[in-house]
Amino acid sequence: MNTATQREEVLFDAARKLAGSVERGAFLDRACAGDPALRARIEDLLAAATDAERFFAEGSSAVSLPAASLQSSRGTPASAGAIRASQPGEEPVGTRIGRYKLLQKIGEGGWGVVYMAEQEEPVRRRVALKIIKLGMETKSVIGRFEAERQALAMMDHPNIARVFDAGATERGPPYFVMELIRGVKITAYCDQHHLDTRQRLELFIQICHAIQHAHQKGIIHGDIKPSNIMVTLQDGVPVPKVIDFGISKATEARLTDQLLFTAYAQLIGTPAYMSPEQAEMSGLDTDTRSDIYSLGVVLYELLTGKTPFDAKALIGSGLDEMRRTLREREPPRPSIRLNTLPRQESIRTAESRQAEPARLIALLHGDLDWIVMKALEKDRTRRYETANGLAMDIQRYLNNEPVAARPPSRMYRLQKLVRRNRVVFAAGGAVAAALVAGMGTSTWLFLKEREARHRAVAAEQQEARLRHDAEVREKITQAALLVSQERFDGADNLLREIVLTQPTVEGAAVFRAMGEWHALHNRWKEAAERFAVLLRINKLDGVDVSTLDYLERGPPLIELGDTDGYERFRQEAIARFVGTPCPFADRIVKISLLLPANKRVIEAMSPLAEATAKSFAEADADGDAFNAAWRSVSLALWEYRRGDYPKAVEWCRRCLAYPEYNAPRTATARVILAMSYHQLGRVDEAYSELGGGREIIESKYKSRADRGTPVQGFWFDWGLARILLREAMTLIETASRRQ
Amino acid sequence: MTEITQVLQAIGRGESGASEKLLPLVYDDLRRHAATRMAREAAGQTLQPTALVHEAWLRIVGNGDRTWQNRAHFFGAAAEAMRRILIENARRKSRLKRGGHQLRIDIDELELAATTPDEKILLIDEALEKLQAEDPEKARIVVLKFFGGRTNQEVAEIMGVTERTVERHWAYAKAWLFQMIRAPK
Repeated sequence: MNTATQREEVLFDAARKLAGSVERGAFLDRACAGDPALRARIEDLLAAATDAERFFAEGSSAVSLPAASLQSSRGTPASAGAIRASQPGEEPVGTRIGRYKLLQKIGEGGWGVVYMAEQEEPVRRRVALKIIKLGMETKSVIGRFEAERQALAMMDHPNIARVFDAGATERGPPYFVMELIRGVKITAYCDQHHLDTRQRLELFIQICHAIQHAHQKGIIHGDIKPSNIMVTLQDGVPVPKVIDFGISKATEARLTDQLLFTAYAQLIGTPAYMSPEQAEMSGLDTDTRSDIYSLGVVLYELLTGKTPFDAKALIGSGLDEMRRTLREREPPRPSIRLNTLPRQESIRTAESRQAEPARLIALLHGDLDWIVMKALEKDRTRRYETANGLAMDIQRYLNNEPVAARPPSRMYRLQKLVRRNRVVFAAGGAVAAALVAGMGTSTWLFLKEREARHRAVAAEQQEARLRHDAEVREKITQAALLVSQERFDGADNLLREIVLTQPTVEGAAVFRAMGEWHALHNRWKEAAERFAVLLRINKLDGVDVSTLDYLERGPPLIELGDTDGYERFRQEAIARFVGTPCPFADRIVKISLLLPANKRVIEAMSPLAEATAKSFAEADADGDAFNAAWRSVSLALWEYRRGDYPKAVEWCRRCLAYPEYNAPRTATARVILAMSYHQLGRVDEAYSELGGGREIIESKYKSRADRGTPVQGFWFDWGLARILLREAMTLIETASRRQ
Repeated sequence: MTEITQVLQAIGRGESGASEKLLPLVYDDLRRHAATRMAREAAGQTLQPTALVHEAWLRIVGNGDRTWQNRAHFFGAAAEAMRRILIENARRKSRLKRGGHQLRIDIDELELAATTPDEKILLIDEALEKLQAEDPEKARIVVLKFFGGRTNQEVAEIMGVTERTVERHWAYAKAWLFQMIRAPK
């Protein structure tokens, strides 16, 4: 470097740090006096500096390596696309949005962009942050999300990606924060790994369970499609994860006309997975069965590689035609669809499923056809009633048992029977042949006839059972209708006659509603009965994790004075949940300690208390005040019941310290606190807390009873508070009379 | 002990010609490692070179020998290796976009504002060759900062100068390079 350029650099460095052009001018006047060429060079450099900054910044946005370019020496157009600079409307990487820092763009669609982001507090973790691009009114999106949030928070399932948070970027568009899933969408995963039909079905069953879990919490996904189902490897095992729960609901605007349709199609990507009732877009009328339809489409695609209706054709046909197609046209059954594919394509499709075209078609033909078509019924009352029902039918198919998807004829059942017991039948045949040799023809005919008669009876019994189930479903549907019209008497009459042997979400909802109706009218016996059925239905469902329903069952038993019944109930509940991973162990702890418990019960419960302490710590670290405060109440009650009063006081105080106010929870905490102070001989404090808790509870019961909400407290939250209040009043006032 | 470790130790002992062996080794290592890393990521993912280089460094020092302090050589070679990998990558992609036959971008034809980030990298690289001839120290800073993703502090440490000097050279080099790119002589 020569001295001339050195001098140039020093002057440039000094000048660029001066803020105003006037100051710079004055500085250069002095520094370059008598050397106009030097001054011109420096001014050029200064002018170039601003543009240079931008040029280097833009260039450095390409200083990262796209996946495809490194895997092979030849890049693909796709990889070139992946690395292009930020589009207008996107946030540059490194931007901070709320408490999240964008690290990397990982996906993009018509609706917006997904980033990998880092959350720094209250916990440091990687998340996926999805920014919604459409011109949506941020406030209403966020409002709708907030309304769903409590429900979303209750979801905890290994096949569901959690949604943590929502907010708005500085420029306005709303965003959602989700669990970061590293994976590929399910259809791509299955094809890339050449999964055969059985393996695909096994993955699909897990998806059904995830959807079932959400439905049990009252959450509809609303946008089930392969790109919302990612497969990720955990310890080498593929695990499907459903993403975007609650987002479709939050972003769904009331869209009724053609113009908005475009936006809607963009938002949800493709109408190919939309149920007929969703396509109507009446905005009133979608329920869990809409998700069943979409599951049916995904299953169709997993099996055949095609959606029932072509997405492009649907969009291209215009809104009315699209609705008509979805409403009226019967899609070809999966086996027929495969059979009509061009030869090359059908070979490819079959190969990616480790089969030849003819064998794949034969495989789909029959049961799988019927299962898929039942999920895709236009009339939602004829679809599977629950995602679990769909999963169970597929499981039956995999076990070579008769499926519910087709009214079973005797021949059909026999086929199944033979296939399931092929070995037994073969052996039986050999023995029979040996016997025939030494036996008269009439005996042989007699034996054959008897066997046929047995089979016929079995088939009839099966048919009768199916008919009975259908009748029960029908009654439940009617009852649900009556409940929705608030004609509770009629609904309750219908339910009296029903014996449930099949899991049903609708049935659970009806029994829950009826139990609550009785409870709100202090008819505790009926309430207790309905809730008992509700818990039985939950058990039938296999995925019996709705701890909230246990909270409903406890108070009626105590109000009824049925202490034996309560004792049985709590022992069952404890036995049911000890040893299973239960995210809401705190609810079982709370509901099982409404009455004092003996040592044996306390001991049996201690794993649940440990789980509660753990989930408390997690909620607290997550900044989830709602759950953290509730868990503190459970832990307070636990310590109180086992006689550790100072610890009980500590947990109550902790609960009360959370800024978020929830009236029944606060009241419960103060009542437990009062009892704990009493036990510790702190009389004045006990009185003061008791008075405070009592005032809250009594003023609630002066007003009209209602079911409540998670935010204001459910009826059973209040029921619980009142039961403990009674205990506290007896305890403290009896003691004061004695003195 | 990896080959890279051996070469770094040879450099530490002052053996002649050892430095020249470092670059191809680091280059191969980074490339191979990036490819395996990428195979595990979903399509469309990208990888930050800084992260790659850091991982490479951890692999080397994690291999037992933590005594030698010759980070400067390694990071210098790594930045240069990353530069080559990125340039190859940018060339390939620009070529794809431009119909597959152009091996070099003719900068006279390009409107600067309309260039893609990849083309910008190629232009910067080309101008860097000229800076290399005129002022190798600044060129090295550009390689470390721009292609190697190092901070001022790290560059200062590697080159044995003050952070303030790095900051001053980097600002000047950018303006200088941009002038070259805008008005090629």
